[in-house]
Amino acid sequence: MRNLRDKTEPAERAVNFGQFEMNALTSEGPERSKPRTAKSLSGPLSEVRRGALRIAPLLIGVAPFGLVLGAQAGQKGLSVVEVALMCGLNFAGGSEFVAIELWRNPPLLFLIVGMTFLVNSRHLLMGATLAPRMRTLSARRASLTLFFMADEIWAFGLEEARSRDQEYATGQLSLPYYAGLAAGLYGTWLISTTVGALVGPRVGNPQVLGLDMAFPAVFLVILKGLWKGHKAAIPWVVSLAVAVALHLSISGSWYVAGGTVAGLTVAYLFPGQKEC
Amino acid sequence: MLRRWDLLTILGMAFVTYLTRVLGFWVLRRHTLGEKATIVLEAAPGCVLICVIAPVFATSRPSNLVALGLTVLAATRLPMLPTVAIGVSSAALLRHFFG
Repeated sequence: MRNLRDKTEPAERAVNFGQFEMNALTSEGPERSKPRTAKSLSGPLSEVRRGALRIAPLLIGVAPFGLVLGAQAGQKGLSVVEVALMCGLNFAGGSEFVAIELWRNPPLLFLIVGMTFLVNSRHLLMGATLAPRMRTLSARRASLTLFFMADEIWAFGLEEARSRDQEYATGQLSLPYYAGLAAGLYGTWLISTTVGALVGPRVGNPQVLGLDMAFPAVFLVILKGLWKGHKAAIPWVVSLAVAVALHLSISGSWYVAGGTVAGLTVAYLFPGQKEC
Repeated sequence: MLRRWDLLTILGMAFVTYLTRVLGFWVLRRHTLGEKATIVLEAAPGCVLICVIAPVFATSRPSNLVALGLTVLAATRLPMLPTVAIGVSSAALLRHFFG
């Protein structure tokens, strides 16, 4: 992912998720440009292909995540249709892992929806950084484009648009290229989670096989991807401590909300120094 | 099969996720976010993730604790698949031999 860090401007701020490290522009003013559309000499179809090829190597790493998620969802009693529906409509892996881990029958709607919002709140920053690069799009096209704004698609789309930056013009998002990225990731995610959901319920007793450790392992890997140094991790430690204490002392799922609020309070009160 | 509460939860998730995707685009492009708000926003996903797996840390069963320790160690230096493999196999083996 190093190539995404090229051409880093001072105003850029790092947004991190999963194993992806990405830079985002948070303060690019609207006054900076005449919009400039992507000029593709060889037609939109080859742009689509270029996008698909750009994301292809990454999909090999994405598919196992999808399989693990789908399998666990199947074991928790979600039907194949429900898994496909969740991954197809929500299309944000991190929040789906959280939802499935918290899932019971019937699901706690407000807890899951609330945590989904918090996990995906990083999209707020990501969407803001794409805005100066989507000025030529109609509102309808922009809304559709944003539906597919997953971490990887955002990072590669931004990278490509930025490569066409000129001194007085902000490089605009290439829609066909973006479509190629989206098609690859969306298809892979939907297929791998669905296959996982088909296989999951056929696996034996998850406790005996140690399969209950699969999810924590995935979460820890994602957390490592979010790592930005010891100081930035203090809210996490507080979250964990409070959540463990709450889990041991009261029944129900209050530990999730309680621990999260505690961590965010610490982040707000002691912002610390950013280390990157 | 599609149950009503499952469907409502899934639709709720889809709604708020889409909200985070369009809200940043439509609102934040005109206003820059303050430093504190940005820090809180960036801390949020990690806080949620760690809380969700907190029950795993709240165990007194030795084999679970050792398996967890090995998994944490693996996560800091290995990619996803090997980490999962170490987590799952160490939990299974330790529980089998030490209860």
